[in-house]
This record gives sequence, structure tokens and C-alpha cells, in this order.
Amino acid sequence: MNCDDARKYFVDVWRGARDVPAELREHLDGCAACREEVEELGMVWNRLESLPDPEPSPRLRQEFYTRLSNYREKPRFSIGAWLRHPVFQAAAAVVILAAGIGVGRYAGRDTNANEAKVARLEDEVTDMKQMVALSLLRQESAGDRLRGVDWVTQTPDADQKVLDALISTANHDPNVNVRVAAIEALGRFNSTPMVRTALPKSLSRQDSPLAQIAVLDEIVELRERSAAPVIRSLITQTDLNPDVKQHAQWALRQLE
Amino acid sequence: MNGVTDTELMNEVSRGRTAALAELFERHHRPLYRFFMRMTGDGGLSEDLTQEVFFRVLKYKDTYHPDRPFQAWMYQIARNLLTDTARKRKFEVLPGEFEVVSSHAGADEEIARSQEVSLLRRALECLPLEKREVLLLSRFQNMKYEEIAALLGCEVNTVKVRVYRAVRALGQTYRQLEGERAV
Repeated sequence: MNCDDARKYFVDVWRGARDVPAELREHLDGCAACREEVEELGMVWNRLESLPDPEPSPRLRQEFYTRLSNYREKPRFSIGAWLRHPVFQAAAAVVILAAGIGVGRYAGRDTNANEAKVARLEDEVTDMKQMVALSLLRQESAGDRLRGVDWVTQTPDADQKVLDALISTANHDPNVNVRVAAIEALGRFNSTPMVRTALPKSLSRQDSPLAQIAVLDEIVELRERSAAPVIRSLITQTDLNPDVKQHAQWALRQLE
Repeated sequence: MNGVTDTELMNEVSRGRTAALAELFERHHRPLYRFFMRMTGDGGLSEDLTQEVFFRVLKYKDTYHPDRPFQAWMYQIARNLLTDTARKRKFEVLPGEFEVVSSHAGADEEIARSQEVSLLRRALECLPLEKREVLLLSRFQNMKYEEIAALLGCEVNTVKVRVYRAVRALGQTYRQLEGERAV
């Protein structure tokens, strides 16, 4: 290995790579100039560590989320596309199934076999409702996602997938109104352990006062005492909105 | 969202789920901001550019290939944006005044460290754009050489040689500035 070849690997030495070729070691052992250079420039490389990392102001996050919540793709509307839309298809399926149940009930009154069929169809309607809810929660428009939250509340036996989606919406949706609606919807599933665990966690994720107050209300409603440490930690935040602080202190008193 | 890869999130974005973009933003906006900040020296502009990168990700989501690392694709968008902005605003990419770290009076070590940081920043500012960029990508952006090579459109070994040259140029400028200060 000559000096030019060796220089290709200097940066691997500085980065602490484990797979530095043995030939480089041999070259450095025999070449004082390269040895000196790799050490000297290695100090420059290490010194870069001392440069402080510039931090963006809170404006960046605020503006990003505002813009994201207003973001809409230019619609490419066509009746064909609308008919192929999964939300439309799922909603149509719910309507047809519900009509089937109605017809079944009317035509097969007082027979056990028909009762079982109707029960199965009702389960299928619940599944379809959940599918519609999931589809809507993934839509671009905040209005659609709000409707998705509404659909979830219409399915009292929402399965884990739907609750996961609802929790994720409550924590991450770019639109604060959707987040608040999802938080309130979570309160309806108060007997579900995953919801009881998710709400205190959600409190530490929320940065909007509206969403923080909504989570606090649901925690109080559920009497979720395990949330007390999270609430105490929230109260100690120096930049906490005064209304939220007051509400958190009230929530803590309710739980104690 | 822990455990979900950038590519999976990007696939969600491609399916129209913008909440996944929020997660990508949370993961990458700080390093991206630092990249812009170190390239332009302008905090406000760097925030605008950082935000814009994520909306370009949204706009061009259909052009993303899942077999390409998301980070390399994102920095490709960032580089194009930086070039466009420099052309439109007719500014030379970089130099601006980086803030100088304050030191406690009397604390010699602190003062020396602060001066060293200040010199290093100035030396970095003096580097030509290409050298500064490859050095930042390699030293601060936590990118693999394969990703940098894909981004710059060259071989991995070429990236390594460019980084070596950038560090050598930085060292020379640093020593020069140090000498000027001593005079």
C-alpha cells in the first residue's frame, strides 16, 4: 500500500471503524509522514466534536404542524375513482349488510337458525364498521379523520387494531381537533387496559394545551390513579401553559 | 412508532397517511436543521428550508423507491433545495456569523475552549462548499459512506478521499487562523 492508497482509509481510522485493512497498519508502521498526518488530522476530526449543535426555535415545529394540518393534495376527482375508494366501498358494504340483516329478521322471525345467521351478520357489520373507521383514520383530510374517530365510537367492541389506530391518532395526528376527538373517544373504552395505560403516556406526548386538558379530563373520568406521577411531572414543566397547570393541579386533587 | 423504519413510514406517507410524515419530521428535523445551519449560517432560513424539505417529501412521495435509504433521498431533496434557494436569493451558500460561545470571565480553560470553537467554526466557514458539504455529511449527519456516495453520485472510495481532503483543508485553515490570531 502506498501513501495515496493509505489516505483512503484515514477517515475509517478517525471514525473508529473495525474493518481497517491490515495493510494500512503495516503502511503506517513504516511511513512516518502518514503516521504523523493521520494523527494530526485525527485531532482536527475529534475537535469538530466540540462544535455545539445549533437548535431550531419552537417556530419550526409550530409552523410545520400548522402547515401539515392545512395540507391537502390537489384533488383528482372522478366518479370512477370515488366508486373505487375503499371508504366508499366499505360504507356501501355496511349499508348492504345492514339491509340484509333487516330482511333476514323480517323473513325469518322466530327460528333459531335464522337468529344465528343474523348474529353472524351483525358481527360482520361490526367488522365492516371497524374497517371503515380504520380507513377514515388514514385519510389525508382532517374532516375524514374526524369522521373516522366518530365511526370508532359507534363500535363499542372495537378490536385492538382499531384501538391502536385511535391511540396513534390521539398521540400523533397533526391536527389538534382530531387529536382531541380521539382522546375523548378513548375515554369510551374505559374498561380496556390498553386505553387506561395509553392515556397517561399520551399526556407526556401532547404539546397542545387543548389536547393536554382533554387527556387530563379523561384521566380524571377514569379515576386513573397511576397517572399521578405523569401529572406531577407535567406541573413541573417551566414552559407549561398556566391554564393547563391549573387544570393539572385540579386533576391531581381529584385523583388523590 | 418505535421500531418502525423510515422506509415503512415513507410507505405510509405514500399511501396518504400524513401522520407518518410527522413522525419522520420528529426523527430528522434537528439533524437536517443543523446541516442547513452549518451550510448557510442563517437560523431563520435554515428553519424555512427544513420545513420545506418535508413538504417536498410529501409532494414527491410517488418518486420514492423503498429500496433506497430514506435519509439519502431526504438529503438529496435538501441539497436541491439549497441550490435552488441560493440561485433564487442570489446568495453564496454559507458564510454567516455563527454565534460565539460565551465564556465565564476568569475561567482560562473555558476561554481557551471557546476560542478554539470559534476558530474551528471560522475554519469550517472558509472551506469551499463541496468540501464543507462532504465533511458535514460524514462527520455530523450520521450517514453511511454508501449513502453519501449515492447522494453525491460517486464511489465510496471517492467519498473517503474527499473527506480526507476536506479534513486536511480544515486543518490547514485552522492553523492559518490560529497563526493570524497569535500575531
